[in-house]
Amino acid sequence: MGKQITLLFFMLLGFCATAQTTNVKGIVKDAVSGEVLPGVSILVKGTVKGTETDFDGLYSLSNIEKGATLVFRYLGYKQQEVIAINGTLDVSLEYSAEALDEIIVVGYGSQKRKDVTGSVSIVGAETLEALKPIDATTALQGTTAGVAVNLSSGAPGAKANILIRGVSSNTANQPLTIVDGYEGDLNSINPNDIESITVLKDAQAAIYGIKGANGVILVTTKIGKKNKAPTVKYDTYSAVQQTTRKLDYLNATEYALVLNEAYGASGQTLPFTNISQLGVGSDFQEELFNDAFLMNHNISVSGGGENSRYFISASRTQQDGIIAKETSNFIRNNIKLNLGVDISDKLNFSLIANYFTTASEGFSGSVLFNGLNYAPTFGLDEDDENNFLGIELINPLNQLKNTYNENNGSGLEGNFKLVYKPIEGLAITSRLGYKIYNEKGRTFTPIQNYGISKVYNIPQSSVYQFKATSTRVVFETFANYSKTFAEDHNTTFTLGTSVQNDLFDGIYASGINVPNNSYDFAQLNLTDPQNEQRSLNSGFADKRLTSFFGRIQYDYQGKYLFSGLIRRDGSSAFIKEFRFDQFWALTTGWKISEENFLKDNETISFLKLRASYGTLGNEVGNNLYRSLLSGEGTYVFDGALVDGTAQGGLPNPLAQWETAEKLDIGLDINLFDDKVTIVADYFEESRKDLLIQSFPVSGILGTSAPGSGNPTVNAGTSLNTGGELAISYAAIKTEDASLNFAYNVTYVKNEVTDVTGGAFIEGGSFAIGNLPPSRMEVGQPIGYFYGLQTDGLFQNQAAIDAHPSQAGLGAAVTSPGDIRYKDVNADGVIDINDRKRIGKPQADFYMGFNFSGTYKNWDFSAYLYSELGKEIVRNYERFLPNVNKPSYYLGRWTGEGTSNSIPRLTNDATNNKLFSDFFVEDGSFLRLQNVQIGYNIDADTLERIGVSKLRVYTSVNNLFTITDYSGYDPTINGGAIGAGIDYGTYPSARQFILGLNVEF
Amino acid sequence: MKNINKKISISIIIIASLFTINGCSDEYLENTKVYAEDSESFFNSEADYYNALVAAYDPLQSSFINVLMGEIASNNTLCGGESATDVQGYQQVDDMIHTPVNAQLQNLWSFMYGGVNRAAYIIEFQDKTDFTGKEVIIGEASFLRAYYNFELVKWFGAIPIKPEGRFVVGDEQTVPRAPVAEVYALIEADLQVAVSNLAYTAPQVGRVTKGAAEALLGKVYLYQDKFAEAASTLESVITNGPYTLESDYNKIFESQGENGVGSVFEVQYTDLEGAGFGCLQCSEGNVAVGFQGVRGYDGDLFTSGFSFNVPTQEVVDEFEAGDNRKDVAILDIEAWATATGASYTTGYEHTGFFNRKYIPRKRSATAAGDLNLTNPNNYRAIRFADVLLMAAEANNRKATGNDTKAQLYLNTVRARAFGNSNNDITSSGSNLTAAIYKERRVELVGEGHHFFDLVRTGRGAQISGFTANKNEVFPIPLEEIQFSQGNWAQNQGYN
Repeated sequence: MGKQITLLFFMLLGFCATAQTTNVKGIVKDAVSGEVLPGVSILVKGTVKGTETDFDGLYSLSNIEKGATLVFRYLGYKQQEVIAINGTLDVSLEYSAEALDEIIVVGYGSQKRKDVTGSVSIVGAETLEALKPIDATTALQGTTAGVAVNLSSGAPGAKANILIRGVSSNTANQPLTIVDGYEGDLNSINPNDIESITVLKDAQAAIYGIKGANGVILVTTKIGKKNKAPTVKYDTYSAVQQTTRKLDYLNATEYALVLNEAYGASGQTLPFTNISQLGVGSDFQEELFNDAFLMNHNISVSGGGENSRYFISASRTQQDGIIAKETSNFIRNNIKLNLGVDISDKLNFSLIANYFTTASEGFSGSVLFNGLNYAPTFGLDEDDENNFLGIELINPLNQLKNTYNENNGSGLEGNFKLVYKPIEGLAITSRLGYKIYNEKGRTFTPIQNYGISKVYNIPQSSVYQFKATSTRVVFETFANYSKTFAEDHNTTFTLGTSVQNDLFDGIYASGINVPNNSYDFAQLNLTDPQNEQRSLNSGFADKRLTSFFGRIQYDYQGKYLFSGLIRRDGSSAFIKEFRFDQFWALTTGWKISEENFLKDNETISFLKLRASYGTLGNEVGNNLYRSLLSGEGTYVFDGALVDGTAQGGLPNPLAQWETAEKLDIGLDINLFDDKVTIVADYFEESRKDLLIQSFPVSGILGTSAPGSGNPTVNAGTSLNTGGELAISYAAIKTEDASLNFAYNVTYVKNEVTDVTGGAFIEGGSFAIGNLPPSRMEVGQPIGYFYGLQTDGLFQNQAAIDAHPSQAGLGAAVTSPGDIRYKDVNADGVIDINDRKRIGKPQADFYMGFNFSGTYKNWDFSAYLYSELGKEIVRNYERFLPNVNKPSYYLGRWTGEGTSNSIPRLTNDATNNKLFSDFFVEDGSFLRLQNVQIGYNIDADTLERIGVSKLRVYTSVNNLFTITDYSGYDPTINGGAIGAGIDYGTYPSARQFILGLNVEF
Repeated sequence: MKNINKKISISIIIIASLFTINGCSDEYLENTKVYAEDSESFFNSEADYYNALVAAYDPLQSSFINVLMGEIASNNTLCGGESATDVQGYQQVDDMIHTPVNAQLQNLWSFMYGGVNRAAYIIEFQDKTDFTGKEVIIGEASFLRAYYNFELVKWFGAIPIKPEGRFVVGDEQTVPRAPVAEVYALIEADLQVAVSNLAYTAPQVGRVTKGAAEALLGKVYLYQDKFAEAASTLESVITNGPYTLESDYNKIFESQGENGVGSVFEVQYTDLEGAGFGCLQCSEGNVAVGFQGVRGYDGDLFTSGFSFNVPTQEVVDEFEAGDNRKDVAILDIEAWATATGASYTTGYEHTGFFNRKYIPRKRSATAAGDLNLTNPNNYRAIRFADVLLMAAEANNRKATGNDTKAQLYLNTVRARAFGNSNNDITSSGSNLTAAIYKERRVELVGEGHHFFDLVRTGRGAQISGFTANKNEVFPIPLEEIQFSQGNWAQNQGYN
């Protein structure tokens, strides 16, 4: 014992003897502007000793080893190392243009951007500020290579769909969104609160295992800087919105002439005898669309003390719909708090909380469909009393008058986090992520009568109310340990565990006979308590996930990079026997520019080759293995309804999540002192065990019985291959002016490589009574369109006689002016076996082109987005004799030689309405998403009024769209099998914005 | 150094303990709450059997499509509707140009198999739990499976059957289409279970009785030309059953006549629950009724509909002078409009006639929407008059015919129709057969039987567009042929 103490004493003595200490202090400034930089971190290299600069950029360090290296780090600036000598040591940090030293989050850890070996895209706060999205999702469109954003609808508050590197799954293609470490959602966050969005596109996302296959979006929200006085920011904008497009439909006179022609062709009495009186008639589209208001206010305070950082914000967004603004609107309020406290130099606590409320009102999608098809000969408030238009079309304006609903949501999400750093290089993080979302809704359906037999008629008023709560809790603990061995071997280990529980609990009820047939009385307690149709229901779900994960990141001299990661997930959504699986990935990189032969190259400032490969999961297919008695088995005994017990949807005990195998090979090149950056990637993704919902099965299995349904089956594999290229060019960068260009393009080719249990799977729907138009088939892109191929029109009887008979298609008689279909299988008759591929819903190319610049006090930017090589099915026409028609029918066939594409008009049964390429259009488009110009008021002027920054700007969203597509909006999409079919989509709004940014 | 070791130790302990918490993840994952019943651990009480039985009755309501399309297929009516393209599946069946691609035939196939499987679900688990009165439920389930299978064999001929229980995934590729005789053998066996398990009065109105089982069994024999068995089984209904002919033919089809004295088996409908086009089979109402209503009708007694299934002049002319049934069965809309001031519009193939037995009546204030799809008119599936006429036919056509009995049964029906016995038929042999056939047509017009009567008696060619050796049955839906992966061949003439 004594010996050991002696030894220790000598060791300490020896240590002390060799160490000569010194004190240093100084100021840290920006190399260009000379502004002081508060909050710069200073670390004595090889020790845990360090400090930060204060408000005035000052720092001091005492008792440090003489000759020690001080490392100065500041976000957005190049790291600098300085040898400590006695006395004052002032340092100027250089701003890093493309910020290769930028630290980016990569899931359970972070990395310098230059060390990343996976494929990532980043959207920064400046892009979000320029685009001013209502939903931050929209900011990814066109700004990030490999990411496509599609609007499900232009309705206020509608959710956008994100696709990373094309469609793979038929069930769910939405990427996992992680906000500050908790599993969240982009549309509940205030875009102004976002610091950056990082998109993980390749196998590197395997650290998220069963949830990573669709890519991962990592959102970091803003937090203040230490030792910084409070900064107050106020941002606001207002906008006028209008539709991006109205469709060309017949006016009353044209409509009447066209109808008379069709009736005449069928030898029927003409419906309109006095056409000259009709004029243009009613334009229901014109009445439906209106200019609508959009407004946003946002205020934030951020800063920090010696041991704390904070960010507080509040915002409100209010949007009216461009259709029926009285009944279509969306409001979101956010209150955000981010707080970080250093309890000691080893223990840090942080809290992230986002409270949000939403309120929305909407209307049925059929309003627009009715607006297009309702006849212009009716008065604006006139109902089709006598069923002239059939039972399925009603006056859209009257329909809107009967629309009453409201939906309110409120939620709290975020996390509590403790980071413990017991020794240098080791950080243990324990965090509790949470999301509680409460939603309630009320829909009032008044008594309605639109004319005899209309399907929209409602004989009794009713009110439907629901309340639901979703709760998500994720508890995660992980350790990161970084150590450099023998100087050159930099290693980081990550090891962790995660437990997640998702609960859902909802109650739904409806009541009949609302007093006074009025929304003011639409509450369940006021409805008829004896009515048999009064209903009460509840829903419940409980899903759990447990996981372990580990990762090793290694580099040799910062030149050769490797990482390996593994995650084991167990999900309660699947049957016990198939509940667990491993996901893994390997990544590697070579920073060629660090090699001697390139190190001081004038042209190439940075060059990295990287590759990744791994497996990831897509957690879809919850509880499919359970065979539940959830069917409907209601019958009538003794004259009263009796509820029995029946089987629900057909179970699938073998259901599994989808598995992705991803390969990515990429190259990062920076040229001319980082003025030009190029990121190029080749990728391959094979998605196995694709889950197909409502998988068509034989009728003998009884799935057509009420409340039953077809099973969801793992039934195929699809392969996405493609490439991405992103180029940015900082053309001008001076004190007075800057000009930046960015271009990105993604090519994706999707091919189905396996379909289980048959040649193909059908889906989607077209008009009424047609076979499903979309298919998933080996060798074809998922959801491609399958139909008849037209070959012009029959111009005369001789042409019909010379052509194989088309009677097998259903209509016995073919006449001149009818569509001629190709005998694709050359068997001498035209029937359904002559269908072939006539289009596909997913684009080949996705492109974004952006430029931004500043000149003195002015700034400007423009964002363009384009999709090329996709088709859309025009499916918003209702094929009934008396409904209104698109104006292309003015160019219809009326006699030999008049048209070779638009068939004759008749009320007889024809084969012209069968699904064919006549209804498939090129859906390629180029859209100017945003163009903006801003002006910063002179700083000198502002100082007098105590303002540090004041900017006014104006911008336009969706100014123009160049496309050949004749429907409302070519951006429509969604899903895989059945995607790209336009049922009359709510178009995107064009927004004229005027805004103000103030900073105190 | 010691301090660092200590810190590392603490860290390891913290991490290890967290992993331990996570370690019992099997249990954690297993303990999710479901709040739902599993279909394979059901049938534990009488209530379970009863509830499953209710659900097996439910698909009877979807047989509206059989009645509607069956009548359209015959030469009694034209398809009608709004235009030549309104419900293409019906239009093509009307013109006998239907192909394996036909959404309505696909519906019929799937709806009926939905019923087969629900009935088979009970039969599969019939031995699981015992209780008093179980034989009644098993008897009803057996009847229901027979009813659904009989519909399927009428429409499609040879069909896949599975006597032991429900079909499961994969059966479509292994279970063959059983020959028609084999299907009938299963139907007969199921009905014999029903006959022996059930009584002539049911525990609740709407449930199957012994009389219904016997009547259906007799009908099944008749469809196989087993006339002797048919005669004795049907006569058991006549002699032992509690049925008499309702004297007022009109009352039968009004709501006060539902489940009346002449009703042997009736599919129950109500308008207390709403419905939509998205799931017609889910409607608790009679969808066929709305489809057959007068288009744009506004006036007395009736409400509007979609003008499908319009009777032809030819079937109207089948009624003899003095036949009281004519004005009950056929609505002459022009005459009616003139008499009552009702207004209406005309649809496709307008003949001026409507199937008055099953067009929408004025509705109560409590009726739920969509009113077109929730008409409460019960379908009188087996009427006592039908039993009498079948008994007459069986006696007339059996090997040693009994025309006296045949005349008796036939004339009982005619006496009601004319209100006297002045129109009795006295012919015998094949003349009597023809008279019975004619009587069936007029007595049962609009009720969905005529097409099958024509086909089973070799008279299909009376239907315009009918191709012999093809149109006796309908094509197996193309989708089903594809699912079977070569296991099932298409019906003759439809390839």
